[in-house]
Amino acid sequence: MENTEIKLEAVHKSYYLANGEEIPVLKGIDLEIKKGEFVAIMGESGGGKTTLLNIIGCLHPLSEGKYFLEGENIGEVRDDFTLAFIRNKKMGFIFQQFNLFSRLTALKNIALPAIYAGIDKDEREARAMALLKSVGMEDRAHHKPTELSGGQQQRVAIARALINDPEIILADEPTGALDSKSGLAIMDIFSGFKKENKTVAMVTHTAEVAKYADRIIYLRDGKVIDNDYKLTSAY
Amino acid sequence: MNIEIIKMAFEALLGNKLRAALSMLGIIIGVTTVIAVFAVGQGAQNAVNAQFQNLSANSIIIMGMFGRGATQSSKLTTADARAIMEKAEHVKSAAGSIMGNLSASYGSESGSYSVIGADANYFSISNLKLGSGRFFEEADVDSKAMAAVIGSDVVAALFPDGGNPVGSTITVGGKRLEVIGTIEEVGSNIGRMSPDEAIIVPDTTAQKSLLGDRGQVMINAQSDTVDNITIATEEITAILRAEHKLKVGAEDDFRIMDAGSMIGAAQSAATLMTVLLTAIAAITLLVSGIGIMNVMFVTVAERTKEIGIAKAIGGKRADILGQFLLESVAMSMIGGLIGIILGHGIIYLVNQVESLSSIITLAPSVLGVSIGFGFSVLVGVTFGFYPALKASRLDPVDALRSE
Repeated sequence: MENTEIKLEAVHKSYYLANGEEIPVLKGIDLEIKKGEFVAIMGESGGGKTTLLNIIGCLHPLSEGKYFLEGENIGEVRDDFTLAFIRNKKMGFIFQQFNLFSRLTALKNIALPAIYAGIDKDEREARAMALLKSVGMEDRAHHKPTELSGGQQQRVAIARALINDPEIILADEPTGALDSKSGLAIMDIFSGFKKENKTVAMVTHTAEVAKYADRIIYLRDGKVIDNDYKLTSAY
Repeated sequence: MNIEIIKMAFEALLGNKLRAALSMLGIIIGVTTVIAVFAVGQGAQNAVNAQFQNLSANSIIIMGMFGRGATQSSKLTTADARAIMEKAEHVKSAAGSIMGNLSASYGSESGSYSVIGADANYFSISNLKLGSGRFFEEADVDSKAMAAVIGSDVVAALFPDGGNPVGSTITVGGKRLEVIGTIEEVGSNIGRMSPDEAIIVPDTTAQKSLLGDRGQVMINAQSDTVDNITIATEEITAILRAEHKLKVGAEDDFRIMDAGSMIGAAQSAATLMTVLLTAIAAITLLVSGIGIMNVMFVTVAERTKEIGIAKAIGGKRADILGQFLLESVAMSMIGGLIGIILGHGIIYLVNQVESLSSIITLAPSVLGVSIGFGFSVLVGVTFGFYPALKASRLDPVDALRSE
């Protein structure tokens, strides 16, 4: 149990239309992700993959069920201060569309979560620079996102996710907007997370990407239909 | 609040200079108006103070009636001043003067000037300094001497070639007067009249030969103590009614005012003007605030995705609220500063216009600056708050999904 980073029990999530109609998206999810484990979440479009990731990332409140983070039930926490703290310190989010601030340089983009964490300028810029180096981007520190290629932007985004040294990395289709060569470079970085004992949950619909994971969770129609999905011989 | 978030707010503003400038425009106009309004108010206040600066708290002013039936019943004469002086117990001093406008000429030069008929002590009471020649004396008053002391503008207009006018004979209202002295340039007004543009003659002369009934008589009296001002006013009223042989029940044919109520009335008029103009400025600021709110809503809508990202990477509601609030406050504050500078520029320019400076001199006031600046910041906070609050409460997932 103390080895469990994330545990969901009977998690439901519904959206409500303006007319009050309920649209259930997650219909009772049970899952467990161990510390240092790299899990891929696969499934059909509309199956609830991204909603599940957003719930794990504390971006969404869950409608029903329990969410244990390091053994603590945080499913009922609605306090912005606590949720922001978890998103800031415990997790790093990586998006398909990179989601960098176009007005800020690569270095400042990476440093931003450290600003929210209240880390002073020298320290956070030193960390940001070290991370830029680790993703091979130190010569682009003062470039803005528009001056970088997609692969480069995603490497900056990964560095940003790592700045507060989170235990959990959440990635939503991290290679979805990249050509296959850049995508492979990104997955190389993901492979390195294992060494640092980071827990990774990554949504993808690409088997080539999913095979980097230790385990694949397969969703269909808001439910986990396979907790250890094996890629078929087609791949 | 992190300094980095302040920097980001300014960077966001600089990233959209035109929009920021346009939304600042309302604040700039509003604060400029406030500064100008307070300068007008302060100027009016100063004018009131200057007008009455020769009055002490125990001053009583008696004037003839104007308007309807004025020529028939306005019997107030400078001789009444002497009667008051003799008979009233609680009056320390009383000096009459008579004022009117007459044309004056010397050689081929002529113009219209204020003619003041006064006592010999008028010069010292009004703080006038002798330019050349001499002022007239009691003897001149008693003998109704055809003598005049003229102001610097009159000297310049009637004697354009320079030289000393003392000893020359000028024609005033058809009568020939000898110039016995000139007054050093004063530059400011006494009441509504500038001594520089005045021809001052003995009051007896003015009453008899120059102005007669056309002149406006004014008596400046002083009660012996400030506390006795009411008693003195009653005494003067009784004496004048007796002098003018008014029947019981007949209305006074003069107006009597004490300094306190006069200054009070003039000051409240000036204050009322300031209040009205401030209300206009406040409305301008309100409208500009709505403008800022509009722009902030647009900004929030445009940056919805950024807000989503900020939340996803650990930005608290307070961080986001703070950033957007800072942007609107920065906008209104910069607008306020520009308005203060512009307002003072306008004050400077208006004071350069000579035709205006004789009426009022705008005086920048600390109160105007603090209210103008305070209001601009308040507008930024008030009208920036709701959009910022909305931004901070956006659902992170919805915000991330927007493009």
